Amino acid sequence: MVTPTTTRGTRFTPEQIGFLAAGPGRATEAALARLLDAGLLRVSRDNRVSAVHQSRQGATTAVEARLLNQTRTPVSLKSAVKITSSGTEVRALHQQLLDDGLMQRPRPRNAAWWFLLAMAVVLVAVSFQSPWALVGAASFLLMGIWLRGRKPVTRAGRAALRSATASDRVFAVALYGFTGKVGTQEVGDLFDLPKDVARSIPLKQKKKRRSSARGGASCGAAVASYSSCGSTGCGSSHSHSCGSSGHSCGGGGSSCGGGGGCGGGGGD
Amino acid sequence: MAGIKDLGVGIGWRSEIDLTVERLPGVDFVEVVAENLHIGHLPESVTLLLERGIPVLPHAVSLSLGGAEELDMGRVEHLGAVAEAVGAPMVSDHVCFVRAGGLDSGHLMPVPRTRDALDVLVENVTLAQRNLPVPLALENVAALLEWPDGELSEGEFLAELVERTDCWLLVDVANLYANARNIGTDPERFLDEIPLERLAYVHVAGGVEHGEVYHDTHAHAVLPEVLGVLDELCSRVNPPGVLLERDDNYPSDTEIASELAAIRAVVDKHRG
Amino acid sequence: MSDAAAARERLASQQAALLNALLANGPAPAGFDERRLAVERRALLSKRRSVARMLGPSVADELGDRFQPLFDAYAVENPRRTGSRAREDAARFAEWCRASGELAESRKSYWKFWRTN
Repeated sequence: MVTPTTTRGTRFTPEQIGFLAAGPGRATEAALARLLDAGLLRVSRDNRVSAVHQSRQGATTAVEARLLNQTRTPVSLKSAVKITSSGTEVRALHQQLLDDGLMQRPRPRNAAWWFLLAMAVVLVAVSFQSPWALVGAASFLLMGIWLRGRKPVTRAGRAALRSATASDRVFAVALYGFTGKVGTQEVGDLFDLPKDVARSIPLKQKKKRRSSARGGASCGAAVASYSSCGSTGCGSSHSHSCGSSGHSCGGGGSSCGGGGGCGGGGGD
Repeated sequence: MAGIKDLGVGIGWRSEIDLTVERLPGVDFVEVVAENLHIGHLPESVTLLLERGIPVLPHAVSLSLGGAEELDMGRVEHLGAVAEAVGAPMVSDHVCFVRAGGLDSGHLMPVPRTRDALDVLVENVTLAQRNLPVPLALENVAALLEWPDGELSEGEFLAELVERTDCWLLVDVANLYANARNIGTDPERFLDEIPLERLAYVHVAGGVEHGEVYHDTHAHAVLPEVLGVLDELCSRVNPPGVLLERDDNYPSDTEIASELAAIRAVVDKHRG
Repeated sequence: MSDAAAARERLASQQAALLNALLANGPAPAGFDERRLAVERRALLSKRRSVARMLGPSVADELGDRFQPLFDAYAVENPRRTGSRAREDAARFAEWCRASGELAESRKSYWKFWRTN
């Protein structure tokens, strides 16, 4: 249904791409999209999702099977995404991405890192008086480098993400989420979803997070521990997400920062 | 036919399949379960169907009109309010009881086919009718058990109910099939006995056989035998409307559409 | 007592006896086929169970295979009273499960790492 942005395919599955783009919630969204695309799930205007009843088992992945199993009786889209994205199947998907070197355990910049940086700066200042302090500054800097923040998506993962295109509506969801856009087209429209339904799919970001409120941070820096946008973010090579192009982040609910763009669907 | 216009072929609107119902071809009218609607905020989908000019008929499941307990007027008023909210030409419930002795069965229980039960039913129905803004149609239920000491056949029972209350009939052919299978009633005799000129519309539904028993689940495909009963009915009267009820385990849109088409084919066969 | 009132009273006791037998393990009323009563009892229970499953999918999910036997045990002990709502029934079942230790008090299994996302 989507006009392919390029004809390049990817050897990665929508779930993998979704996970790389925005974490477990997006991976679940991608699975949901595949099932909707195949007519194995239906959604209703009151934001509930239910498995289409049939004798054959249509799931092609463990995450899909989980979703189908969970929606044998209608459940809210929100809870379907929430429960599945914190389930063992999505965790296994994450593990596979770790094993394949597409992701790594992230290391957030914590208070200790900032302390090391501050110490280094202080020692550099002191070194104008006593040059020996430079040695201390250097060692603190080295420790800082050693402990520096590490993004969860590896270089290989970013390359995988760059190789993915919204070649069909399932990949469009993987890359941008149901509330995202491909060009000017809203992804939810590709599935004939009423607007409210599409908006209910990814979990809303809770407003309580202080770090994102502080200092008008751009989306890359907004969430300290796992910045879902920024370099790992909603497909840095794609022009409609936050990050690279002139589009601002957070606007229109399509990207990060605003209510529930990429990264939605974490396990809270 | 006085009061009842031609409804065509319809489907029970359920919130889980609202988008499906909106998109299905060949839906001439829908039915909503009155108890599931709140006055003041109708589901968006129902409003949309109304805007398209699709008749929406409220169907109640909890009046317990065949019950010995005092009629719950709150429920009657709600049904009437739903009817007004959707501009319905008629409402319906069942010839059954739901509550008794402080217990709620959660289901439509058959009433004994005795004079006592008929008298009580007539009283309740008359009271309900007086408090409803539109005509009331009453539906035959599927029974898994038979009351002892029945004095009338089901058809006679309903015929007398119509005669005494001037209500309409909503004939569920799946329930007729279920009763034929489970308690040995004869659908043809039933159709012979009821006043077909008071037929409001017809229900068709799916079910499943478990061992010896046929369960009217509304969650399985419509059996050809049930369409056979519809065929029998249509050979006697041109029903003003026929509606498919599906309440669970919703199949694909295509499958639902083909069930509607099968129903339409039976109806059309008898129309010259 | 008028004829109508007497008829209502007779019917009331018949209907109450039937529901008591079907929902609350009461004695089978005279004249009914025991096998039919059993079929009806199962059908009513199954319907109530599926409604509870629909209204409390997370409870059903957590109980897994234990959902059915537990619900059936709960249902006989707690027949639905007139005026109670299906939603309350599902909630009471969850409470009943917690009280009997079948369901964790509160289930919050967070995957800390992603939670900060």
